Amino acid sequence: MSMSIVITGEGVVSAIGLNKKETLSSLLKRQTGISYPSVLPTNHNDLPVGEVKLTNDEMKSRLGVKDEYISRTSLLGMMAIDEALEDAHLNANSYANSRVMLISGTTVGGMDTTEHYFAEMLSENKHLKCIESHDCGNTTQMMASRYPFVSEYTTISTACSSAANALILGANLIKSGQADIVIAGGTEALSVFHLNGFNSLMILDHQQCRPFDNTRAGLNLGEGAGYVVLESEEHARNRKADIHAYLTGYGNACDAYHQTASSADGEGAFLAMNSALAMAGLSPEDVQYINAHGTGTPNNDESEGVAIRRVFGGNLPAVSSTKSFTGHTTSASGGIEAVFCILALQHQFLPANLGWSEQMPEGITPTTGADHYEVRNVMCNSFGFGGNDSSFILSVRPSEGIALKFGDKKIKVLSRVEIDENSDLSRIKEYVKPMEVRRMGTLLRSTLLASFDALKEAGVECPDAIITGTILGCLDNSEVLLRDIISSDEASSSPTLFMQSTHNTIGSSIAIKLNCHGYNTTYTQGDASLEWAMRDAALLLHSNQAKTVLVGCHDETTEWYREVMNKLGHKEQLHPIHSVALVLTCDE
Amino acid sequence: MVNEELINELKGHIINALHLEDITPDDIENDAPLFGDGLGLDSIDALELIVMLEKKYGIRIANPAEGKSIFKSVNSIAEYVDSHK
Repeated sequence: MSMSIVITGEGVVSAIGLNKKETLSSLLKRQTGISYPSVLPTNHNDLPVGEVKLTNDEMKSRLGVKDEYISRTSLLGMMAIDEALEDAHLNANSYANSRVMLISGTTVGGMDTTEHYFAEMLSENKHLKCIESHDCGNTTQMMASRYPFVSEYTTISTACSSAANALILGANLIKSGQADIVIAGGTEALSVFHLNGFNSLMILDHQQCRPFDNTRAGLNLGEGAGYVVLESEEHARNRKADIHAYLTGYGNACDAYHQTASSADGEGAFLAMNSALAMAGLSPEDVQYINAHGTGTPNNDESEGVAIRRVFGGNLPAVSSTKSFTGHTTSASGGIEAVFCILALQHQFLPANLGWSEQMPEGITPTTGADHYEVRNVMCNSFGFGGNDSSFILSVRPSEGIALKFGDKKIKVLSRVEIDENSDLSRIKEYVKPMEVRRMGTLLRSTLLASFDALKEAGVECPDAIITGTILGCLDNSEVLLRDIISSDEASSSPTLFMQSTHNTIGSSIAIKLNCHGYNTTYTQGDASLEWAMRDAALLLHSNQAKTVLVGCHDETTEWYREVMNKLGHKEQLHPIHSVALVLTCDE
Repeated sequence: MVNEELINELKGHIINALHLEDITPDDIENDAPLFGDGLGLDSIDALELIVMLEKKYGIRIANPAEGKSIFKSVNSIAEYVDSHK
């Protein structure tokens, strides 16, 4: 038997509770946290949200944090991490002898702070320093600085599957011997930017969301944070920690179908669930409960239902979407729902699927909850934009099908292509049809050109995995949308720009074009983004999970951003556009 | 009968909103289908057109499913705009 990964502590903040205890009570009482926004300053008062009813100042005072520009994303994350560490009974002694990492998922990062100060930054050149807390990587860095024993940290940004992918990376880092303890999860704050963007995609329900119901009309956006403490079973036993659950299986696959919609047959979800079961060595009938992605959009719930049926056949376990309690907390959802699943295992109950009353034709019938239910293995699904689909299994006992063994064979670079503002981006038309190119911003064009050139040079048609790094993502889009929100008073903005502002649009655009269903993830950690992408690629290659990996780092800056950075005294040269793509393999 | 001025204005807005770089207003026939076999637009374009109608004409379409009949052709959009202004 190889190494088992265990969870020894959890922390959670969402619309249904500021900690595990409150959360459990709300779940058992079937009490939703969906309400109208009262903390978020927005004109969209008619849109129900899953809001944490604490202002930033209230959170700062609870946490003893003074930083003016710290994002709500970081504050929510700190509340959950504080609880997880306390829950895991980690003390100075356990830190002294352990390598502790923080892996966090987020999509909006510091957007809430940026949008708060943006008008003043533009018109009066005030609060410029706030831009330094804008990027997703900074929100994790701020959290990490609270915990001096954290020696390494990184940020994953694959939209709504970010936290699930953080758990996957955390487990792989422990299995490969690079970490002893990993705090893994995700955090996301409500922002006008996010609410407005989802609204422009017309996937927000104006009533309380009703996952898997025939009358469902979309999701309610939520916020919060959820983190778990991962370690090897041996490490946990050595420090006499209580084992709350085993992370027995996990998988990530790309639907490679569409930037915001899931395929009719749910291929990505099907592949992710199957990989998780295979790693855990479990049959579908061993799973008693699925915490579904279940956003409440017509498309997700139909596609996910099809995928679940493909995996589980006619013998479905109990299924519910707890987004009916919390709203869709996007990047945090995998972390928050992991904690819900562990609560279900510890207290032997089934979380309800609120709001369901009308059966979808050929859809799955979710559970309305059970106060007492024997739960030994639970599956948790998290699917993100770009078809980034992840699934993991939490169990009361260890279980193993496929053991990952990490070698140290030499990594070979098959090709390397670099593109900057002097390159001829119109060559993208060699690879992509004009009707597809037309809506791509500069960064997507340079990404695809560098990536396809690199694959061509390496003689690789479709890599086994695509791993992307980016510091700021499609910054141009974010800036246009922010200006739009101010000038149009939150009127609808371009759905194309919004979906491209999500960092993993970059990696999923490559996957969709190549029809590549393999592992797909995105790192966003400042200057270390490419390094983390390379490190994850090495994990895949060294464990034989991939033979070829396309790795890249892609960034753009806007004129305004360069000006602000210059005023703030940053000396490094910022490229308007910069892409680097590499194809890696490993000696046989 | 919808007026030519509105038709031409709409074509300009459609080209801008959907980044139809290589297409001129004359390339779009008034009655030709915009989606599927015609111009080849997709569901994201439909959402962009909904935003465009809100921004340029103050018309709000609450249900994306309504878009299907409205966005059949430039003519049908013009008729809709004309009757909802």
